[in-house]
Parts: sequence; C-alpha cells; structure tokens
Amino acid sequence: MIKYILRRIVGLIPLFIGVIILSFILMQLAPGGPAGPVINNTRITQEQKERWLARWCLEDSKDIGSVLRQFGGWSGILNCQNEGSQQFFSAQGGLNFLPAALGGGDNGFLHGDLGTSIDTGRPVGEMIGERAAATLFLTVTALILWVSIAIVAGVYAAIRRYSLFDQSLTLFSYIFFSLPTFWLGLMLIFAFGPALHLLPTGGVVEVRDWPAFGSPQFWVAAGQRPIDAILDIGKHLILPVTTLVLVNIAADSRFVRASMLEALNQDYVRTAKAKGLPGRTVVGKHALRNAMLPVVTNVGLELPFLVSGAIVTETIFSWPGMGRLFIDAVGERDYYVLMGLILIASFAILAANLLADVLYAIVDPRIRYD
Amino acid sequence: MTDPTRTVSPIDEAIATGIRPDIEAANEEDFEVSLKPLSQWQLAWRRFRRHRLALVGSVIVFIMIFLAVLGPVIWPYDRLDLRPITRPGGSPPSATAVFGTDNLGRSIFELVVNGARLSVAVGLVTMVIATSIGVTVGALAGFFGGRVDSLLMRLVDLIIALPFLFIVLVAATFFGQGDPRLLMIIFGLLSWPGLARLVRALFLSLREQEYVLAAKAVGVGNFRITFRHMLPNALGPIIVSATLIVANAIVLEAFVSFLNFGIRATDVTWGTALSNAQGYLVLGNWWWAFFPGMAIALMVIGINFMGDGLRDAFDPRARA
Repeated sequence: MIKYILRRIVGLIPLFIGVIILSFILMQLAPGGPAGPVINNTRITQEQKERWLARWCLEDSKDIGSVLRQFGGWSGILNCQNEGSQQFFSAQGGLNFLPAALGGGDNGFLHGDLGTSIDTGRPVGEMIGERAAATLFLTVTALILWVSIAIVAGVYAAIRRYSLFDQSLTLFSYIFFSLPTFWLGLMLIFAFGPALHLLPTGGVVEVRDWPAFGSPQFWVAAGQRPIDAILDIGKHLILPVTTLVLVNIAADSRFVRASMLEALNQDYVRTAKAKGLPGRTVVGKHALRNAMLPVVTNVGLELPFLVSGAIVTETIFSWPGMGRLFIDAVGERDYYVLMGLILIASFAILAANLLADVLYAIVDPRIRYD
Repeated sequence: MTDPTRTVSPIDEAIATGIRPDIEAANEEDFEVSLKPLSQWQLAWRRFRRHRLALVGSVIVFIMIFLAVLGPVIWPYDRLDLRPITRPGGSPPSATAVFGTDNLGRSIFELVVNGARLSVAVGLVTMVIATSIGVTVGALAGFFGGRVDSLLMRLVDLIIALPFLFIVLVAATFFGQGDPRLLMIIFGLLSWPGLARLVRALFLSLREQEYVLAAKAVGVGNFRITFRHMLPNALGPIIVSATLIVANAIVLEAFVSFLNFGIRATDVTWGTALSNAQGYLVLGNWWWAFFPGMAIALMVIGINFMGDGLRDAFDPRARA
C-alpha cells in the first residue's frame, strides 16, 4: 500500500512541474508580462522600480535568457541579489535551490515564498492565507451538506424507483444542473435581500460590527465574542451555501442514484433476497456498501472544489475568499498572486486525484494496487 | 451492436434493446414486415422521437436558434433607441419594454433577442474547435497506443490538472481583449481534454473489433481505418458530449462577460446583457438580471434534455 502511494506520488511530480511551467509561460505571454505592471507604475520612482525588478530577476525583455532568469527568480533556483553565475548561490554560499537549512536561499516557491503582490506590496503567501479561511468556511460547509443530502436523496430515490420522490428528484436535478450558478446566486440575492429583507447578501460578517474578516484583529475580536461571530458568519453563509448545495446536489444525487441502482441489480442482492434476508438488511448492508464505492471516488475527485470551486459564488456574494482574490488579481494584473493561486489550486487537484485513488484502494478490497 | 441489415420490428428492437415495446404508441407501419433495412441513424432517430424530454429540449433549442438567426432581423437592436426610464436603474416590464429596461433605458427584451446570436455562436464554435481537437487527439491515442498514446494522455492529464475557471479567466482577460472570436478560440482550446479521454477509451475498445481486423487484413490504411471505419461507430457518445460542450461554453461566456472580463460591452450577448445588473438588484430591479439569465438557463436545459435523449438514442442499454 505505501509502495503504491509512493509510486503514485512520484508519477504526479512531472505533472506538477508541467503545471508550474505552464502557468509561468501563461503569465509571460500576457501583455506586459510580470515586469510590465512594475515598469508602467507611475506611482513609484525609477529607483524603486529597479530595486523591485532586481528582487525578482525581472527584466523588460523577452529573450530566452531573461525569461529563464525570471523563472529562476520565481522558483528560487536563482538568487536575484547576486550577479551573473553567482546567482546560483545563496547568501550562505550554498546552491540557492537547496532548503535554507542546507545552505540554500530563501526566495522562490521552492522555499515557500510565492512572491510579492504588485498591487498591495505584501507577500502573496500571506494574502492567500488570509483568504483561505473564508473560502474554506464556505466550501467545507457546502461540500459536507451537499454530499450528505445527495447520498440520502439518491439512495432513497433508487430504492423507491419511479416513485413520486424519484421523479421529483430527477426533475429537480435536471433544472438545477442546468442553471448557471452565478444567475441562481443573483436570484437568491434578490429574493432574500431586497425583496424579503431576510438575509444578508454579501460578505462574511456584518461590516459595521467586526474588523475586516481574515485580519488578525478579526480573530482577536472573534475570540472575545465567539458565539456572536459564529452566528453572524452562519447567517452570511446561508445564501452562498444554498447556491452551491442546490447546484451540486443535482449532479451528485444522479450519480448516487445510478450507483445504487447498479448495486441493487447485482446477483448478490438477488441471492440475499432469495435467502430470505429482510429488505432492510439487503439494502442497507449488501447494496448500500457496494454502491458507496464509486461515490467515495467521486467525492474524492470533488475535493479540489474546496480550494478553487467557489470562484463564481464568491464573486456574486462578495465573499473575501481565494476565488475573489483571483478575480481581483486578474483585474489588477497581479501576476505573482495569479501564479500562486494557480499553483495552489493545481496542487489541490493533483492531491485530490491521489487521495481518490488511495481511498478507492482502501475501501474496495477487490482492487489490487501493486 | 444492432445489425443494421436485419429487418427491425418493435419486437426485434425490444429484444435487441431490452426495452418493453410500447405497443399502443407504436406506429401501425412498424408491424408490417418491411424489406428495407433501417440504418443505425434511423434506429437512433426512432428512439430519440420516443424520448419526451428530448423533444421538449429540441423544441427549446430550435426556438433559441430561430431567435439567434432571425431575432436581430425582426427586433433589431439599436444602441440609441432608449426607452423612458420611470425608476432609478430602469423601468419595470411594461407595454413599451416587455422585459423592462436597464439603467440606460435599453430594452431587455431586445438585448435578450439580439444576444442569442452571439451567445449561441460562442457555444457552437467552441464545440467545433473542442470536438475537432478532442476527437483527433483521442483517436490518435486510442488507435496507435504505445508512445503516441502516453505522450498525448500526459498532455491531457496536464490540462486537466489546471484549475479550469482560473485559466479561462486569465486567458480571456489577457488574450481575449473583448473579441468574441478570440474568446471562442480560447474556450475551444481549453474544453477538449475530457472529450479526448472519452474518444480514446472508445477507440481502445473499438480497435479490438473484428471489422477493424478485417479492414487491416485487406490492407486498408491506418488513417482510413481510424476515420472511416471506427469514428462512425464512436459517433454517439461524441455527439452527446459535444452538446454538453455547447451548453458549458454558453454559461462560461455569460459568466466571463458578466465579470466584464469577456466580450466587450458593445457586442450584445446574454452575458453582456446582464453584466451590470447585480449593482441594481438592491433597488429591486430583478428583471434586468432575470430575463437574460432565464434565456441562458432555458437554452442549457434544452441542450441537456437533448443530450440525454441522444444518449439513449445511440446507446439504449446505457439507461440508468
């Protein structure tokens, strides 16, 4: 088992390197490139510009050498503080790409440094970290809710096939599967905001009552009044979570239903029934357990949603999460933030693929993984 | 696989497909012994006709395509033809503007009707680009196998490992420049990997079929075997996923344009029609966001129903 996991991880490494290179190339191809916003910034002096460019090995040139140097600076292979071939060495004198403890440098994503935002001047890692809490509050709540509802509804629909419930669920899935998420969000905002005045339609907390969500001050304030904080966040969660849950139940309940029907049609279910086992045991023990195997994989593959899946919902509900940060960064051409978020989201996708495979191998003893 | 040379009666079809024939609904002529064999397409069309939701979906889709083609002729959109605004942020639906107006006084109805053309075009062109790449890549990988296969599939893995919406937003903003044609190309270039995987899987199984062996034995070339012999047999699932690509592209365009990162505001699409609507929802102006969004939703529902009917028509055994 451990050997299998290790082999899968080794297989994912070239893929992740590919993702890194691809996202870098994408930003290089963009008009202006990562150096553009710095050079065209009219608010800073020439000296500041040069210092900034030198910090990241940025150059206003597209020849292959300078592009490679920029990649070296972003990844941490090169130490931009030095000149020429000395760039391969850190201030400590060791090869720069090594971890700092082994004499390497401290810049670049190899050392956990995703760069600095051109817009705010703050480290990208810190900015993403602040937004992560908001995104995870939203996505984890939504994922848990929709997966459990989809499993219950899907299984029930499969047991009572062609019943009124089954047919309503089918119709429901068809409709909500087709609705554009952002439009559903807008309609919910209108219904529960301006029309009924029932629920807040944007943000994580009431802006007047709390410091900016995600900031250290907020966590201090929330620590002093934890119950207020939870209630307020909960109230703000209702609409965005409902949007995500409605759309995703639609697809997942169909999947669970199909999987359960498949299991119910198996020979061992017929055998169990023929033996005279009570229906509850047949459905609950024989069919359900086997029906859950593909569902587990499916949920595993849905996990990247936790990081990058709520971009649409976050936009509509002014939710200060990572998706919103991404959209703001696109508008500001904040290339380091964009590359950082793409790396994190891709990492989540690859990790989820691995997890789904491993989970499947664990829950299904028929899978031989070596 | 149903043998197309056999005469098919509803009973035969029922045996072949495992579906109980609906005797009363069947046509009288179905019971006559017909000497003319039905092609696979005719069989598929038969099953499609019986799928009620698919017919509803097709009607919706055809109405939308009709709007896309003739709408701008019947209700032309004139940027300067502004209606009187009775409330801040636009007038509610009334006799002069059936769907109400936006904050400038443009009629939402005209925006929806005229937006259909570009929105549907984005969906169709994206589908054509994505399907051509996906089918070619998948067919090459599935037919040749070996090194070609692993190289192409690593490429597919790589693209699937990227967060799709992130990349779409970056590409649309930095390379799209508000031009619908560029946006179609971007969507097309990013939408094919799923289809390539599907086609590869189909070709891997088709490759083992006897008629391929027979074709090889009589000396038919690889290219001809792939595209003349195998592709027609893989067409069903390909058509189904092509319809889904159309639906996805329409929603994607709407979302990207809604964020003002997509098509420029002077080109009317369903996305640009509602792009500034959110700010006015607080004033109670629901119609501005509602009607363009409803058009998108209807189109997507129609396409999905159609896709479902097509899936059953081409592969009657795949019913869930």
